[in-house]
Amino acid sequence: MPLLELDGVTRRYGALVALDQVAMKVEEGEVRAVIGPNGAGKTTLFNVITGTVKPTTGAIRFSGQAIAGLPSHQICRLGLSRTFQITALFPEMSARENAQLAAQARHKQRWQPFGGGKIFKEAQALADAALEQLGLSGIADRPAGLLSHGDQRLLEVAMAMAQQPRVLLLDEPTQGLSVEETAQAVETLARFLQASRMTVLLVEHDMEVVFRLAHRITVLHRGAVIADGAPAEVKADPRVQDAYLGGLD
Amino acid sequence: MRGTTRLIWIVVALALLAAPLGLPPFAMTLLTEAVILGLFAMSLDLMFGYTRLVSFGHAAAYGFGAYACGWLLLHTGMPLLFAVFAAGLLTGVMAIGVGWICTLATGVSFSMLTLAFAQLLYAISFKWTSVTGGSDGLAGIPRTIGPFGFAALSSKTGFYYLALACLVGGFLVCRALVRSPFGAVLRGIRENEAKTTALGYNTRLYKIAVVAISYGLGGLAGALYAPFAGFANTELLFWLLSGQVLIMVIVGGAGTLIGPVLGAAFFMLMEHQLSAWTEAWALYFGLIFIAFVLFAPQGIWGLATGWLQMGRSRANPRL
Repeated sequence: MPLLELDGVTRRYGALVALDQVAMKVEEGEVRAVIGPNGAGKTTLFNVITGTVKPTTGAIRFSGQAIAGLPSHQICRLGLSRTFQITALFPEMSARENAQLAAQARHKQRWQPFGGGKIFKEAQALADAALEQLGLSGIADRPAGLLSHGDQRLLEVAMAMAQQPRVLLLDEPTQGLSVEETAQAVETLARFLQASRMTVLLVEHDMEVVFRLAHRITVLHRGAVIADGAPAEVKADPRVQDAYLGGLD
Repeated sequence: MRGTTRLIWIVVALALLAAPLGLPPFAMTLLTEAVILGLFAMSLDLMFGYTRLVSFGHAAAYGFGAYACGWLLLHTGMPLLFAVFAAGLLTGVMAIGVGWICTLATGVSFSMLTLAFAQLLYAISFKWTSVTGGSDGLAGIPRTIGPFGFAALSSKTGFYYLALACLVGGFLVCRALVRSPFGAVLRGIRENEAKTTALGYNTRLYKIAVVAISYGLGGLAGALYAPFAGFANTELLFWLLSGQVLIMVIVGGAGTLIGPVLGAAFFMLMEHQLSAWTEAWALYFGLIFIAFVLFAPQGIWGLATGWLQMGRSRANPRL
């Protein structure tokens, strides 16, 4: 059984079809990239999976459970953690506190209105482990708002990891980074992905990043899947070259 | 220098406890009112300072608590102590509904809904004469002693200690709350609500809860005011009070709990001093408010702790 499965997922905004009968299966342990030109529906796809946008029609199953239409905080708690295309952090909290609040969200007593020493301790242990995985232990005590852009992007991944997710959804993790920062962040991510064997769904613009990280690639074009396969196959597919790769060169 | 801070606290605590021994009656009246307003301002700080939920209608909590307590004391013969806490509790329960409705919106719309709600109560207080006394309000509210003793609480000094106990108790509750896991989530909502939701928190429930607790404590303050003043009138629900309490929080230092209490005392002191000197006291206080917003946005408490820390680093330059 695939861990994440989409079946005929369509999302319309009036006359615009942002997602058109999208079907895909992500297996456990797979790093799947979703690529496509601007406006292909990549971010809508993420929003539909994580519940911030409801699909107009279609089914989404997460380890067999139908999740389409559930509120996003419930979907998140089932084990899907995401990062955002535009960095979303708690700027005045330290990196550790950011990851700690993320970890706390998975605790049964996350809402406890008094005390909480034990809850904080458990959350901090998860937070520190996640920061370590992303190579951020050294800057754990700095306010997130003052970190370099590259570290902020990685901190978002660490926050997602502190939740011990079953699927990690990364929305353009290198968005807005310089060439050197991108190279560094990608190396860190590649190392981390290899070590953790996380199931990842990745939306990315940068082809080099995609080919470096992904096991399998799904290509979206005008909301529809036009190709799906190993990186080499996808690269060679004439439709893909037409729609996307060719269009860039 | 930790010791200095502790010393200051002990001095303040002793001074507040010993105040009835040394202060003349009119000063005790002012001090009691400052304590009550301090609790009111502190209750708003939970929403404004810790969650960035800006209420333009916090008078709803104060007025509702005052009317509820006044009505209970006038019509049920309930003892003072129970009436005060029952009124606070009622306000909190009522505020679950307020929170449920107001959190349908965010930002300025949220603020406008809180204002609308307060104005609604204001209108009701005028129209529902049989319960609220209309424009006369509720007068002659007694401090019923009741069958369980507590006679001391109905005296001027006793009532002061009751208000002080509520302030200290309220502070301890608020402090435990903001330091708890719940409080951490509030901080998350303050800094980035969308992200807090994305992490898996149902932020709306947290916001409704904090509105209920904040209104409940504000209602407790109002419930103290009714038997303190002996009356409850429509002014306690008016938007002017909602604005004043926001000013107290900002001038005192939002997000510090203690700051708003100081802000309330400062506001009362200024009102008292400036109004003795000029009719247009609010104008001058307005200028003071603007000065705070521009030059000391961290408020009185922020300034005070800043000075303490400066003293600390001067005494021990390595830190």
